[in-house]
Amino acid sequence: MEQLTDIYLTYQSTIGYIGINALLALSIYVSLSCGQLALGSAGFAAIGAYASALATMKADLPFPVALLVAALLPALVAVPLGLPVLRLKGVFLAIATIGFGEVVRLGLVNWDYVNGAQGIVAIPQKASIWMIYLAVAVTLFLLWRVRGSKWGFALEAIREDEPAARTMGIPSTQYKLAMLVLGAALAGLAGGLEAHFTFMVAPNGFGFSRVVDMLVFAVVGGAQVFWGAVAGAAFLTVLPEALRELAPLVGIEPGPLRLLVNGLVLLLVILFLPAGLVSLPRRLRERRAARKAARAPAGGAGAAA
Amino acid sequence: MRLAGRISLFFAAASLLLTGSARAATVVKIGAALSLTGPAAAYGAQQKAGILAAVDEINKSGRLKGVKLEAIIEDDASTKEQGIAVFQRFINKDKVSAIIGPTLSNTATAADPLAQGAKVPVVAISNTLPKGITDIGPYIWRVSLTEAQVIPSALKAAQAKFGFKRAAVLYGNDDAFTQGGYGVMKSALEAMGTTTVGTQTFAKPDKDYTAQLTALLAAKPEILVVSALVENASGIVTQARQLGWQGPIFGGNGFNSPKLMSNAGPAAEGVYVGTAWNKPSTDAANLAFQKAMADRKHDPDQFCAQAYTGVLAIAEAIKLSGGKGGREDIRAGFLKVKGLPTPLGTFAFNKDRDGEHSAALQVVKDGKFQIVK
Repeated sequence: MEQLTDIYLTYQSTIGYIGINALLALSIYVSLSCGQLALGSAGFAAIGAYASALATMKADLPFPVALLVAALLPALVAVPLGLPVLRLKGVFLAIATIGFGEVVRLGLVNWDYVNGAQGIVAIPQKASIWMIYLAVAVTLFLLWRVRGSKWGFALEAIREDEPAARTMGIPSTQYKLAMLVLGAALAGLAGGLEAHFTFMVAPNGFGFSRVVDMLVFAVVGGAQVFWGAVAGAAFLTVLPEALRELAPLVGIEPGPLRLLVNGLVLLLVILFLPAGLVSLPRRLRERRAARKAARAPAGGAGAAA
Repeated sequence: MRLAGRISLFFAAASLLLTGSARAATVVKIGAALSLTGPAAAYGAQQKAGILAAVDEINKSGRLKGVKLEAIIEDDASTKEQGIAVFQRFINKDKVSAIIGPTLSNTATAADPLAQGAKVPVVAISNTLPKGITDIGPYIWRVSLTEAQVIPSALKAAQAKFGFKRAAVLYGNDDAFTQGGYGVMKSALEAMGTTTVGTQTFAKPDKDYTAQLTALLAAKPEILVVSALVENASGIVTQARQLGWQGPIFGGNGFNSPKLMSNAGPAAEGVYVGTAWNKPSTDAANLAFQKAMADRKHDPDQFCAQAYTGVLAIAEAIKLSGGKGGREDIRAGFLKVKGLPTPLGTFAFNKDRDGEHSAALQVVKDGKFQIVK
């Protein structure tokens, strides 16, 4: 029992980060689900993290209220941001939203009240693992309900062909904006949870590389379905820690080699599973079926001879 | 033949004896969370070398009777996420007696509270932020002098040399360490009665500082004060010289790396840096450190010396608590560490659990750091 507790305590932060990263990956996924490459999630997460930290530390608000603020404030910001930038498409939307994230980060760097680059420290640890996973579960339940509903079909229609969807009477701008707002709320919630899970937030934790991480979670997991984002976040959060475990067994010293193997695994997944990790079972099934099919006629020919 | 047989027998017996005594020793595990990859990798590599050398030397010297130190080194990839994961491993899986690190201050503010909560002593070897590190709690200690302990005295020494009255300040405002350094420089300059004729900022990814430097130099300063990490520092120094600046340049702790000279070349001449490590000091402890590093074919810098000192402090604490290496024993031992000879000079912890030893001012001359007397 004590050993089990130790194992849990050892990997507690990794377990928590799987959930936080899953929420962040989902925040990218919801925009991808209607064909929009919106990459403002690092900025939204930063707003959520700072807002909730200030809410608990300066305003003495209870933690659930702080989390509500963490989700609502970025969602509010997303509306005026989304109205102009959602007119952009593809890589232009990506650039504009990355720009938004950088504006938030640089704003925080230059804001003395929150200690600039040093960030807010000594935040009380109030987020526990169950809260993080409850947030993930509720989000997944929502997305599962959306799939196959009128909303879900509308989003799919916009993703496949927006002009066609519009001629069918689908108000695509509203849907796109709604998904951006939902993504902002999820990112903000993740930021609020992270701030109260890791004792500190700093602007550098919400830079460009962070949003690239989120996109990679969603793509490596599989951007077609919502559980792909979760699978990707879990896989890529566990991988560096798993390699830490494996490294001494194969004689790798801590250092750059672990990073290299990490990158190599990532490359292999992207090369051989372009539809993401979630397509792995299907791929294996197909391959088995193909092999069986190849063997069956050969066997038949043998019998005939 | 018979002689060879005897010799081999002797060696067999000796090795048996050695392994026998090694087995009898209690092993005290020390975890080191270092940034071996990512932006801070240059500092982490120096720290790793210093820690391994110190553990080796202490075990060889037999200074700790019946205790054998074992260093477990893990990489935090310069990120807070992995820094926390490494701390949790050290505390719950490896069950270390003390933790050294992490390399970056930002990571320390996220990971140190876990050690404080689990009552595992931490020794910071490179966190120089004046606030927010040792205030985390009574289990967090540090050997690295803070910027507030180094910069004011070094600036005063520089003023004694140049008698400047007008200073221009340039700092990186998107990095916790360079921003913290700026805060100390600002108050130190104010306390010295110097006029700050201009203040400019840059960001870590910047490569071109000519706009900021031109504005600062136009205000006719007598000294250029810069808080930057070494990658930026090299560019700033080079471009300031290209713009015709001949006067002294004073740098924060980020300048404390041989990389400054290898990157900036002759432009680095005349750069002044406050340092926690007086490299040419002929103290016995410093000479022993330099010899230990030379034996391992490693060219040490200040970060290496501080890491080495971190291990020395832990060893001293174990010795002072009667050769016991538990978590509480080490913390209790830290309270008694005084007058410890280290490569950094005679070392003690003060009541805020920060390290106390003398700092020095150095200048780049002929491509090398030399102490200003």
